[in-house]
Amino acid sequence: MNPNSRGRCVLVCVVLIILFSIFSFRLIYLQAIKHDEYAGLAAKKNVYQQIIHAERGSILDANNEVLAHNIPVETVVADATHLNDVDAIIELVSRELRLPSEQLGEKLNSGRRYVVIKREVPAATARALREKLRANNLRGIYFEDDATRIYPNGSMLCHVIGFTDFDHHGIQGVEASMEEYLHGQDGYRFIEHNRAGKEIVPYRGQERAPRDGYQVHLTIDLGLQNIVENEIDAAMHQYSPQKATIILMRPQTGEIMAMANRPNFDLNLRSEAKPEQMKNRAVIDMMEPGSTFKIVAAAAALNERKVRPDSSIFCENGLWNFGGTALHDHRTFSYLSVREILVKSSNIGAAKLALTVGDQKFYEYIRRFGFGERTGIELPGEINGLLRPPRSWSKISITRIPMGHEIGVTPLQMTVAMATIANGGNLIMPRIVKSITTPDGKTISSLSPTVLRQVISPETAREIGDALRGVVSDSGTAAAAAVPGFVIAGKTGTAQKVDPHGGYEHGKYVVSFAGYLPADHPEFVGLVVLDDAHTSKPELNYGGLVAGPIFSRVAERAARYLDLEPHEEIRKAIPVQRVEKSTPAERVRRTAPAERIALTNASRN
Amino acid sequence: MNRSRRRNCNAVNAASLARWIVMTAFLAVAGLSYVYLTLQLYHLGEHRKAIENELVTLRAQNDIASGQITALTSRSALQRRLKEGYLTMIPISEANIVRLTIPARSTDEDAIQPVANPSTTR
Repeated sequence: MNPNSRGRCVLVCVVLIILFSIFSFRLIYLQAIKHDEYAGLAAKKNVYQQIIHAERGSILDANNEVLAHNIPVETVVADATHLNDVDAIIELVSRELRLPSEQLGEKLNSGRRYVVIKREVPAATARALREKLRANNLRGIYFEDDATRIYPNGSMLCHVIGFTDFDHHGIQGVEASMEEYLHGQDGYRFIEHNRAGKEIVPYRGQERAPRDGYQVHLTIDLGLQNIVENEIDAAMHQYSPQKATIILMRPQTGEIMAMANRPNFDLNLRSEAKPEQMKNRAVIDMMEPGSTFKIVAAAAALNERKVRPDSSIFCENGLWNFGGTALHDHRTFSYLSVREILVKSSNIGAAKLALTVGDQKFYEYIRRFGFGERTGIELPGEINGLLRPPRSWSKISITRIPMGHEIGVTPLQMTVAMATIANGGNLIMPRIVKSITTPDGKTISSLSPTVLRQVISPETAREIGDALRGVVSDSGTAAAAAVPGFVIAGKTGTAQKVDPHGGYEHGKYVVSFAGYLPADHPEFVGLVVLDDAHTSKPELNYGGLVAGPIFSRVAERAARYLDLEPHEEIRKAIPVQRVEKSTPAERVRRTAPAERIALTNASRN
Repeated sequence: MNRSRRRNCNAVNAASLARWIVMTAFLAVAGLSYVYLTLQLYHLGEHRKAIENELVTLRAQNDIASGQITALTSRSALQRRLKEGYLTMIPISEANIVRLTIPARSTDEDAIQPVANPSTTR
């Protein structure tokens, strides 16, 4: 071979080597470096990610009665490009789904490809529609699996349970606060379709199973809730208040046993409810507590050892000028012991008790009782209440706050404060969630009682408790709150309604009663609040006369339900008929003149 | 004559032929098996899908039935039926109540305490 030929061969070889090297590099670039990108693009053509929806967890009461669960439904949708006979489809679908045909026609002719025709269609209806579509050879209507939330008890416990939106996200009540646990985690599966749109099962790709939502067990006992709901309905019927709240709580553990508010709404017809009906007033409504707040002043003075239960306080014969303003009592009292101040609900006495501890210390006790901060219950939207620091107080605030004015509290805060007295002085965090379990019953989380702090000594709590027993006696302000067979401790409250425009609304009151039973070993603390109750006579609108009897009926039925042993000695001490209106009316008439004076100052017991 | 015929005749290599036949048959069987198994795979996939759908339907029916049972036995529903008169409630007489909560007793009482009412009162 001559040199020229050899040179040409070498040149050809080099060219071929370069050419194949370029091809090789391109191949490596496409297959290795750009693999993921092109594999993704290829997969998009055929591979779909199918979402496997997790089932939302159920909500159950303390005895595993179902409060909220799911049932499968279907969403009927249309692909506008697949419709083969629009008129026939409109006629059939509107008839089967009970939709106005004009409305359906507008939807299908809107120009959009994906049209949701109707949500939450029962499975049986969907099945019937599917068969008729197939029989008539109508195409373009599809069915998507879905689930809807069902609340078997309707309006019962509606504010606590709450509800979900279209996307199955909780937006109120426990449904919202426990969303993280109830919602679960959707799974997925990568699948391939053939040209007919059917899944090619052997080509199933990566798959992750869904994790269904956990079950949330509440502390609510539906038996007790039923008692409370019946009594609050009876109260609404009898007194037609603007709003009403009843709470039952176990003082040792903070478990909420029952909670009812009015107005209410049916959870299954939530779209028809008005915003006013949806408010859980136990945690988001603020009220001036009235005389029930006197327990705080008395507890502060006793705990600081400024007074003893039998210390005598001069109550100025019913009228006391302090800071240039007159403070009235509803009756004329001269000297009262600390115990009697609570029993007879003396405003002046309570004010003087607060003065013994001073502004700052009294404020500290109010805070220690949990006022002015959220209780921490597992319910959304809870408010702090309204408590101003001492530097913002006026000169007379120290005399007004002890009788429950110039302060805003939620009904739950008041219940917790009373529970602090009942359980020996511990501020306990109220709880509505008992435990969280998996659908097969394995416990994920079990919430234990949380003692936030020791507010007062057990001795002080006992002394206050002794005084509160006197409130529910013939000499107290809430004889009608008594329960035959049991020793009750409690405190009434009557506060004139605050006018949003300033001052107080004339003739409108928030009446309340907070108490516990049995007084020695309390099984539950109860609070009854009625806002603007309408009584046959205005002078009957007192906590002891309106809220007290309601508490009595609730407590009596609850004691029976809980199988509490009646106290033999007083089994027949106070007959049930005592709760009737006539007797308190006579009591009020006898004391009417003094109470009229109290009304002018918006402070009644 | 015989010698030349023998020389021109191509001898059949039986072993080689057999080897080819076996190889071809093996390839044919393998190919057919592949096709058969692939079809089986698709068929079983369809079957699996059908069973999955059936399972989903059964689960849905079960959920619907559970929902209906829950709705019919809910406290609200029972109370409504009680009001309508479909149900009646008979109060349990004191004699038929067995109290498991033993009442407090004085120390001089016997150690053994009854936990149920006597049979005569039942």
